[in-house]
Amino acid sequence: MHLTDKLYDTFIVDDRWKYLASGLKTTLIITFFAVIIGMVLGFLIAIIRATADRTGKLKIPNLLCKLYLTVIRGTPVMVQLLIIYYVIFASVRIDKTFVGILAFGLNSAAYVAEIVRSGIMSIDSGQFEAGACLGLNYRRTMLYIILPQAFKNILPALANECIVLLKETSVAGYIALEDLTKGGDIIRSLTYEAFLPLIAVALIYLILVITLSRLVTLLERRLQKSDRG
Amino acid sequence: MIEVKNLQKSFGDLHILKGITTTIEKGEKVVVVGPSGSGKSTFLRCLNRLEQPTGGTIIFEGEDLTKMSEKRLYEVRERMGMVFQHFHLFPHLTIRRNLTLAPTKLGIMSKEEADRSAAAMLEKVGLADKADAYPSQLSGGQKQRIAIARALVMNPDVMLFDEPTSALDPEMVGEVLALMKQLADEGMTMVVVTHEMGFAREVASRVLFMESGRIMEENEPEAFFTNPENPRLREFLSKVL
Repeated sequence: MHLTDKLYDTFIVDDRWKYLASGLKTTLIITFFAVIIGMVLGFLIAIIRATADRTGKLKIPNLLCKLYLTVIRGTPVMVQLLIIYYVIFASVRIDKTFVGILAFGLNSAAYVAEIVRSGIMSIDSGQFEAGACLGLNYRRTMLYIILPQAFKNILPALANECIVLLKETSVAGYIALEDLTKGGDIIRSLTYEAFLPLIAVALIYLILVITLSRLVTLLERRLQKSDRG
Repeated sequence: MIEVKNLQKSFGDLHILKGITTTIEKGEKVVVVGPSGSGKSTFLRCLNRLEQPTGGTIIFEGEDLTKMSEKRLYEVRERMGMVFQHFHLFPHLTIRRNLTLAPTKLGIMSKEEADRSAAAMLEKVGLADKADAYPSQLSGGQKQRIAIARALVMNPDVMLFDEPTSALDPEMVGEVLALMKQLADEGMTMVVVTHEMGFAREVASRVLFMESGRIMEENEPEAFFTNPENPRLREFLSKVL
């Protein structure tokens, strides 16, 4: 069989490309919402952790956060996904995409939290003091002075976390979620031809990651305005 | 204006302040000198409770600072400006925003009022053309003048200076001291921790000498420098003058 025939057989017959298209859509949806959950929850955890470290308050929430980080970072994301689907939501019919978003979001939050916390810790304590001396309380100082600076410093690490998350969603097929990877796999099982669908899947991931990296570079450049000098 | 009674501060076993008692009157310019490790910076940082004293009282405008709630403390700090050795400007904000952030976020001024006030203050410190620059684009002396302007925008009753010229290149010390002298001439109440003896002699209404957590001698500058009584002060002056 010629390459063109193989291409035709893999992607065109029975509109098989649609497996990839709808898979891509699912992957993007899961990644997008998981990133949002991860960022929101991650920032929250990081702020609780940093506040506890700095002021000695929030002892119990801090303990819970530490426990959460230990468990989430100490177990594989795939196992977490399986547990959420087959154990936690075992007795309810639930949208698998939602399960995917939840699992990957909760997982990502742990990593985001540690990134953000390191960002907050990297800011000179003089910035907290300068805020305090102007009458800005801890919350305001955090919000207007510390977090904007921390965010700029950790942007590359956060972007990297998004990229990792995008790629990690490829295990979603284990709960029969038809994401991009699963889409390629379905085509493979239909055509008994592994090379083309899997390479296509890999290429799509690669393009997504490169695009993401580009966007981050642009954003970084914008944020770096205050560094000229 | 500030009444300090038997102020104590320990970090664990380390006893930094061993009972400081002094009163700072409105309009006074108090300069605190002493060898490093004498506790003079800690003393200054206790005055606005950046360090929590472990004993004694600080009465600021009638209220005991050491015992007030945190909420009240932040309100009181609006009336106490502080200038640090390392400036601590907000690097992610323009100079104008450095000045207007606190008054706008605290609801003291509208954005327009704050911008106007910031412009006036930048004019005063001679850096009106830097409003849209970022801190990283300024020299050390300019940064410190901005830090002073940032504190002044809050219209404080007292200004605390923690070694404001110690991190500056020698040629930039003059511009900062000149600005501080100008402030002093305008009647600002000031507490200054510094190694600049010339400034102490010229501007201070009273000079405090601190050594190992105590005030060893305090006097008006003329007597302080020409006729020191405490032998430790004499030794100190012989080294720095």
